[in-house]
Amino acid sequence: MTGFVLRRLLSLLGVLLVLSLAVFVIQTVLPADPVRASLGANASPALVEQKREELGYNDPITAQYVRFLGNVVQGDLSTSLRTKRPVTDDLSRFAKPTFELAGMAALLAMGLGLVLGVSSARGGRGAGAVRLVMLGAASAPTFFVAIVGILLFYRKLGWLPASGRLDRMRISTGPTGLYTVDSLLHGNWQWFSSAVRHLVLPAFCLAVGPAVAIGRVLRGALLDVMRLDHVRTARSKGLRERRVILRHGLRNAMQPTLSMAGLQVGLLLTGVVVVELVFAWPGLGLYTTQAIQQADFPAVIGIVLVMGAAYVVINALVDIGQVIADPRLRAKKA
Amino acid sequence: MASVALERGGLLGRRLPVAARAAAGLRRLGWLERTAVIVFVIITVAMVLVPLYLPHPTTKAIAAPLQGPSGAHWMGIDEQGRDVLSRVLFGMRTSWFSAFGVIGSGVLIGGLIGLAAGMVGGWVDAVLMRVTDVFLALPGPLLVLAVVSALGPSLRNTLVAVMVVWWPFYARIVRAEVRSVMSRPHIEAARMGGAGWLTVARRHVLPGTFGSVLVTASLDVSALLITLAGLSFLGLGSPAPAPELGAMSARGLTYLFTGWWVPVFPALGVFVLAFIANLCGDGIRDLMEL
Repeated sequence: MTGFVLRRLLSLLGVLLVLSLAVFVIQTVLPADPVRASLGANASPALVEQKREELGYNDPITAQYVRFLGNVVQGDLSTSLRTKRPVTDDLSRFAKPTFELAGMAALLAMGLGLVLGVSSARGGRGAGAVRLVMLGAASAPTFFVAIVGILLFYRKLGWLPASGRLDRMRISTGPTGLYTVDSLLHGNWQWFSSAVRHLVLPAFCLAVGPAVAIGRVLRGALLDVMRLDHVRTARSKGLRERRVILRHGLRNAMQPTLSMAGLQVGLLLTGVVVVELVFAWPGLGLYTTQAIQQADFPAVIGIVLVMGAAYVVINALVDIGQVIADPRLRAKKA
Repeated sequence: MASVALERGGLLGRRLPVAARAAAGLRRLGWLERTAVIVFVIITVAMVLVPLYLPHPTTKAIAAPLQGPSGAHWMGIDEQGRDVLSRVLFGMRTSWFSAFGVIGSGVLIGGLIGLAAGMVGGWVDAVLMRVTDVFLALPGPLLVLAVVSALGPSLRNTLVAVMVVWWPFYARIVRAEVRSVMSRPHIEAARMGGAGWLTVARRHVLPGTFGSVLVTASLDVSALLITLAGLSFLGLGSPAPAPELGAMSARGLTYLFTGWWVPVFPALGVFVLAFIANLCGDGIRDLMEL
């Protein structure tokens, strides 16, 4: 198993390198003139040439890549054109709200996916309805869910807030930057309930797509597992159906489900951009949208690198976690 | 699964004409899927013909701004006095065929790579599949974001960028099918009969991959519709006046409380298309697995 883990980590490193190479190519080769792009259209030719030399665009391309990689590894993602601050600083500032939102959405997606998968696999009354609901949810773009959610729960019913992370209130800045956690640490219930209420709608919108994808895979896997002999044995020794599903079905159906859950994190990371835009959630997504709108190219590159790396690493961790959890996979993958 | 179905058709001897087989297939589907497949065909035709029955021009003001849905304007009038229905219809047309275009290129690129890897085998297979795996491991939509902001936002750039990341899955599927077909005796027989590699590929290998590619592609349409709409929502699509569903919805957000119809109907347009595509995908999958 150690061999597998090592090899998986090695391939993770390879993919991260390719990611950096891809981003480097996008950054260096694609724009007609990256220097002019960073200085603006009105810069004088002399200034452009000076900047070009200064930024090292006259060096051989391999040297440029090595320098780029070195900077990235040291956490230097150059400077945002819009905020005039280092991109790394901006990202670390906006990462916490996004982490809180995406983390909540991931939990929600797994919970919902479990419920959807099991209830649609059980068959009988309502399974058709669950299937139709899943089909509908799988067809809804994130912004559609968000818009309808705001109109219904904010505008019509007035149950939930529709923008930002908090109501107007005085808060003490906490250790983690995650409002739900900090408010608990400070024992401030008003703060906590406001943070949670602001979190519900965006997290749900973000979770719908992944939840359905997870539910679909789980349904398929469950249907396969429930046909196996050990399930028949479990049934014939008189276990109740609920227990058969939970103990003997679900555990064996978890492996493809977890793979899908890992892949869905990627979807979550792109979905978060849309959701934060709609809900004015002050995180990486909103930062991304503003960067795109104002052609803040260094910022976009930084975000793609960081989010891309997060995606690749999470998928590697899911892979390794599965092998640790399921001994059968060790033989298959080793 | 799919190749088995095809073989069964062959063993029965007499092959029915395409139309008759399609009709027989339709009859085997549940009513929901059957309706969906029929609607799929109708929608495609309707989308082709949009310019013929477009009620109003898509970029010109025709009435006072921000009027709610009415008998004359079913989806209301947007903030610039344009007919929302016309813009949504045209946007749906763009979305529908953009998705088809990307899938077509994915099938073509992925299919060629998968075919080469599966038929040649050896180190060619190893190299091609490694490349494919790396592409699969990278977060596609994020790279699209980077590429489009490097090239400058336009529908063409977005489509090209999505095409670049959308093929690896097809390469995997085609390769797997090709491998399984290649191990069957009829390939050897064809080779011994003097057929060249191209003939073998065209006549004996590719038909065997058709089923699973069709199933994957049809399930893929809705994913693409949603991805493209999302990118357009973020401003990575055609610039301002062009009627694109995602962008219309994003710009309409400002009027969410004063004119809900401006952001809601374009989003609904994406939903309707994706829902039909999803139903059809399920239907085609059931059809091929029978």
